[in-house]
Amino acid sequence: MLGLERRSDVPAWIYVAVPVIAVLLALAVGAVFLVFTGHDPLTVYRVMIQASFASTFGFADTLVSATPLILTGLAALVSFRVKLWNIGAEGQLYIGAVCASGIALLIGESLPGWANILMMLAAGAFGGMLFILIPAIARAWLRTNEIITTLLLNSVALLFINWLIFGSRSFWRDPAAGQFPQGLRIPDEAYFPRWGATRVHLGLVIALLAVVAIWFVLNRTRFGFRMKILGDSESAARYAGVPVRLMVVAVLLLSGALAGLAGAADVGGFSRRLDPNSLAIGMGYAGIIVAALSRLNPGSVILVAIMLGGVRNAGTALQSLPERVPMEIAVMLEGAILLFALGSEVLVRYRIHWPWSKGPALDASPEEAEAT
Amino acid sequence: MPTTADDHPAGTTNGPGRDPVVEAHGIYKTFPGVVANADVDLRLERGEVHALLGENGAGKSTLASVLTGLYQPDAGEIRLDGRPVVLRSPREALAHGIGMVHQHFKLVKRFTVAENVALGDRTQPILMSAPDVHRSVVELSERYGLPVRPDAVVGDLTVGEQQRVEIVKTLYRGVDVLLLDEPTSVLTPQETEALFDTVRAMAADGKAVVFISHKLHEVLSIADTITVMRDGGIAGNVDAADTSVRELAQLMVGREVMMEAPGGDGQAGEVVLELDDVSVDERSRRGRLDQLSMTVRAGEVVGIAGVSGNGQRPLAEVAAGLIEPDRGRVRVNGRDVTGRPRAARKAGLSYVPEDRIGTGLASSLSVAENLQLTRAHRPLLDRGRWSTDARRLMEEFDIRAPGPSTTTSSLSGGNIQKVLLARELAADPDVIVAASPTRGLDVGAIEFVRQLLAQRREQGCGVLLISEDLDEIRALSDRILVLYEGRIVHECAAEDSDVTELGLAMAGAGS
Repeated sequence: MLGLERRSDVPAWIYVAVPVIAVLLALAVGAVFLVFTGHDPLTVYRVMIQASFASTFGFADTLVSATPLILTGLAALVSFRVKLWNIGAEGQLYIGAVCASGIALLIGESLPGWANILMMLAAGAFGGMLFILIPAIARAWLRTNEIITTLLLNSVALLFINWLIFGSRSFWRDPAAGQFPQGLRIPDEAYFPRWGATRVHLGLVIALLAVVAIWFVLNRTRFGFRMKILGDSESAARYAGVPVRLMVVAVLLLSGALAGLAGAADVGGFSRRLDPNSLAIGMGYAGIIVAALSRLNPGSVILVAIMLGGVRNAGTALQSLPERVPMEIAVMLEGAILLFALGSEVLVRYRIHWPWSKGPALDASPEEAEAT
Repeated sequence: MPTTADDHPAGTTNGPGRDPVVEAHGIYKTFPGVVANADVDLRLERGEVHALLGENGAGKSTLASVLTGLYQPDAGEIRLDGRPVVLRSPREALAHGIGMVHQHFKLVKRFTVAENVALGDRTQPILMSAPDVHRSVVELSERYGLPVRPDAVVGDLTVGEQQRVEIVKTLYRGVDVLLLDEPTSVLTPQETEALFDTVRAMAADGKAVVFISHKLHEVLSIADTITVMRDGGIAGNVDAADTSVRELAQLMVGREVMMEAPGGDGQAGEVVLELDDVSVDERSRRGRLDQLSMTVRAGEVVGIAGVSGNGQRPLAEVAAGLIEPDRGRVRVNGRDVTGRPRAARKAGLSYVPEDRIGTGLASSLSVAENLQLTRAHRPLLDRGRWSTDARRLMEEFDIRAPGPSTTTSSLSGGNIQKVLLARELAADPDVIVAASPTRGLDVGAIEFVRQLLAQRREQGCGVLLISEDLDEIRALSDRILVLYEGRIVHECAAEDSDVTELGLAMAGAGS
């Protein structure tokens, strides 16, 4: 009988092989759709790789796309570590961008550029925290499901930034733009420095610093230790004297702050204004994918974010192909990679028992048998 | 005298007591990394009570699962009345007359007794014939001494009554062979006696009853034949009539054991733990406390006996400061620590909770981390010191683990409990609250844990021991309190304790 058998110990190569195979399978699924729409999958994939990884500027753009994904990936990671499911990085990112651009416009030229940039980063983090504060408190004291509250608030945030730019004469909107409403540019001094002629900006450094900081917090601090206990069992945390409610709020605020930083990075390093079109491309949701694929490991977040950043970046390049491949193929690939990666998680923990293979057969793992 | 099953004369046709109804031959069953059953033979005869004795992990449950079709053996065969059969599922086993009452009942709480009994009976028409089932339940319960009302809702019944329903359920399906998995772990002594009467009645009726247990005294008093398992194999097969607790314990563990902790005559000193007029309302079905007052003195073990669910959990948690009682105060060494777990620890209390995994320990964390779980920490951790601390404690408490960074959940039950005890005892407490500290452990680990507690008592530590195992309470305590519905209904010195009296008090009929 075909069945699954729990691995008693997981060999190291599995951790590499499984995600690689997941990506290949996702590409295979993507190929089916490409063939259906009359494109040659090999050409498309070759263009994607060239566009994102094969040239200096291409790779630089990949890094630009990866920057917010690292931050939103970390945002998801810290909350998922304690089994809190912040699905609202998307909205927290928008509000972070609102606060960062707001402070930059307020400060104007009254402060030196570096001070303005620091203020923007702080404001971005603050905005993200502010936006998750209510779900966090509701989760800690009322046990409200944070998946639902954070998810629904994403729509609130999206409508809010659209209203700021397209629906009102707000402080953020450029009064000079008549026909095509857009955000007011932040002062030149507040632009994030860039790396040479590329578009790689200070945000990447911030993101990498955040990875190191989060690694340190998780592994070397009392706060991280408490997160670990709480992530294992709330009852154990209570027994160990961990202030559970405060921890829930603190972890969610940290998560929101990281997402808000991603918003600040977009404002300072990329669009240089509050730009809903640049923000609302699902960077927050992609963070969930990044966290899941990285197996909640801060170091892996960088690699996964670069991979997904490459896919996203290539989506734009595809449109310039003569046969005009829709850029949605990139979004589809992203989804397929997540599905295959989550599906293959089973293979990390279980071994397939084929009907024809010899050896100790298990109809079900003992736990499952017990449940029947 | 240990003999192997094959030494018995082959089943003859003269007399109901000698027919082998089920034989297992050379059963072999492995799980990844574990050989659960290795070359196991078992022979059950009609009309006998056959005890399957062994420590946790000895392979009793695996064998039972093979016999009831839950697992397929990797090798070996099962014969029914001499004919080989393959039992692919519990349903098939039941069709062959083999049924099992599991330790965790499989009843639908909202259904009545009769509905539960009829559940899964495919001979019933789609609209079940309630009067028929009722009649059968009444008949079976009278015949085997299993008082249950067919129209009672299962959720309203006590644990003992639910167990009777489970037995009636299997009898209703017409089993010849009934396996009972640790059936007495949830019963009072009186309920246990009643169960034994039922078991004897079933055996007298020609059924084979397999009694799975790790309690030596019980096995001796109920079984005709005892098969002892150890490390997945058969350690011995003895007649209950000519064996002793000592011999059985030795067969189980493979060496001599000392089950009674050394009881000194240490003088009880100052009051180290005091619960003063404590009440806890019933919250999330965890039980309640009703104006309970008690004290534990230095150098004494106070044992709390009682049937599970009579307030043990709130008592332990209130004493440890984990839950704030609705009224009353808790004092450790004279300091008021009511509802403040960290204050209780600071005042000298250690707590060994009932759920060692998930409360006492975070099992996905390393051994070193778990040894630090309840310590106060600075904002930045000193992990180097953690690991030296862990090495020292692992040696001192004989924790068998590859290293301090080993994941706790990968250890055996006994070692997991040692991690918990090591941490709690290393804090050098003045009072230890220990809830079911040996539950689910094997004999070797039980011995170790009991001696640790006794040793601390010698050193002047007060111990509040909460356990559903009456033998353990009597073996370790100086003073025994019986908890019933959140109140202390009986108190006696351990040496004057009388099982009948304790049992009556546990059932709420005490003086």
